Amino acid sequence: MKAIIVDDEELARRVLREYLEQEPGIDIVAECANGFEAVKTIAEHEPDVVFLDVQMPKLDGFEVLELIERRTAVVFTTAFDQYAMRAFDAAAVDYLLKPFGRDRLRAALKKLEGRSQTPLAPAELRNAARPTGEYLERIVVRDGAKVHVIPAGKLDYAEAQDDYVALRSEGRTWLKQQTISSLESALHPRRFVRIHRGFLVNLDRIARIEPNTKDTWLAILTDGAKIPVSRAGYTRFNSLIGG
Amino acid sequence: MHPLFQNWKALALYFGVWLLLAAMLGLLISVAGGLSPAETAVIISPVAIVLALICLAPWYACRSLPLKSTAAGRLLGQHLLAAMVVSGAVLFLAEALAHALSGLLPGLDGRFSAATPVLAAMVAMIYLLSIAMHYVVIEAQTSRRSELLAREAQLRALKAQVNPHFLFNSLNSISALTAADASRAREMCIQLADFLRTSLRLGERASIPFGEEMELTRMYLGVEQVRFGQRLRVSIDVEPACNECQVPALVVQPLVENAVKHGIALIDEGGEILMLGRRMKDELRFTIENPYDPLAPSSRSGIGLVNVRQRLEARYGSAARLEVEASEDVYRVSVAIPMRNA
Repeated sequence: MKAIIVDDEELARRVLREYLEQEPGIDIVAECANGFEAVKTIAEHEPDVVFLDVQMPKLDGFEVLELIERRTAVVFTTAFDQYAMRAFDAAAVDYLLKPFGRDRLRAALKKLEGRSQTPLAPAELRNAARPTGEYLERIVVRDGAKVHVIPAGKLDYAEAQDDYVALRSEGRTWLKQQTISSLESALHPRRFVRIHRGFLVNLDRIARIEPNTKDTWLAILTDGAKIPVSRAGYTRFNSLIGG
Repeated sequence: MHPLFQNWKALALYFGVWLLLAAMLGLLISVAGGLSPAETAVIISPVAIVLALICLAPWYACRSLPLKSTAAGRLLGQHLLAAMVVSGAVLFLAEALAHALSGLLPGLDGRFSAATPVLAAMVAMIYLLSIAMHYVVIEAQTSRRSELLAREAQLRALKAQVNPHFLFNSLNSISALTAADASRAREMCIQLADFLRTSLRLGERASIPFGEEMELTRMYLGVEQVRFGQRLRVSIDVEPACNECQVPALVVQPLVENAVKHGIALIDEGGEILMLGRRMKDELRFTIENPYDPLAPSSRSGIGLVNVRQRLEARYGSAARLEVEASEDVYRVSVAIPMRNA
């Protein structure tokens, strides 16, 4: 079983390596000290399991999870993060609380054998780990092996495309595997409005709304893009700018 | 609502005191005007009841004219005017009563007129006394409330000081060190224990010398340096004159912990925390500066910062300052604490 250790602290990586080296059938193929490196290395090595720290420079553990193939099994490690722990419990995701012993690690490895993938979509897990009233300040997307960070304020709009959302920002379009509803619930409800079943728009980008057909409208964005507005979306938009 | 109406015993006591006051007023007017005991009772009973109720009104007047922030002239003018109005109104009522009753009790209005100057003066004085009493009660209430606030803040400080995240991460570092470097593991156990013990001891005290706070901060940084290794670098430049300054316990260490958690820990290659301390004529100034990654994954804003700010405010009001500047990649917290010259 190929394993990768991701933790920004050298000592934390060391203790995990010490344990894993003694487990038969485990081969540590790489160690990473930050989230960017982790995404790249995981794509390269396609490991069976990743031990992933939650709090790290560049990208946190949840963001890394969003950007890697879902068939890679993930075991989170954290010292203490009540929100993350609550999310893991809710999603039945296994995690190791530092410091942990050899037996606890073995139990986690044993659990892995029986399962296929994270039961909950990564973005949903991340939403569950967010304290109520706090919203995402940024969205991470993958561009081949590279990671791109879109600050929430720079996102013009998102369009649903089957299992993906197309994110429009600074003249470029990024694809991410996520539902538009889960993206909507992660972003600030006063800054982003779902003006159509398939469109979530940054309120600051809407220049004006024009009537289209009898029951539909068109949103004209500041860069000239035209986006359909449904009846329900029109009501939502009006209640946002009205109050 | 007036606090007396929320407490039956206090209300009963208040009206009990008024029985005495009524007796005293009665005695005065019967002596001054030669009224009979029956005449006195008939006049004074309604007057006392009305006045007892009116004397609760300063509760509102005193709160709208706080002692501290109202000019003395305005304070005096407003309350004296109110006292005169009250006195005039009560007198008018009593006179009307005496006039109406003079059919039954011949000559009552004449005798009562002789007693009016005394009664007017007494009513005004009682009303002014009531104002004074209300100020005393209000002051006592505010000081009790601010004491409660300060204690709450202190409790929050104690809660914040043993940060579970820090504690568990340190234990994990120790766990990692035991196999490869047992003596360093032991050393770190001792450092961690020293830090926890000292922060518990200092947390109990209201004020400590700045030097002790810096010592605690150094202990904290010692533990974190094992965890972060080369990533955490520290530079301290504190004037020796600062060490004797009295400051609230745990004003520096939580800020440095913030700098580590939200700054250094979220940068790959780490960075340097810079601490400066200067003793000015009437205040102590210190700054804590750390690099940070503006693009780092969102981390919840520092509890430590909010906590220190609240405690400084509760203790010094606007005389202490805590300012935060965040430039492109440097985060700086500057604090000024007033020094009462010994």
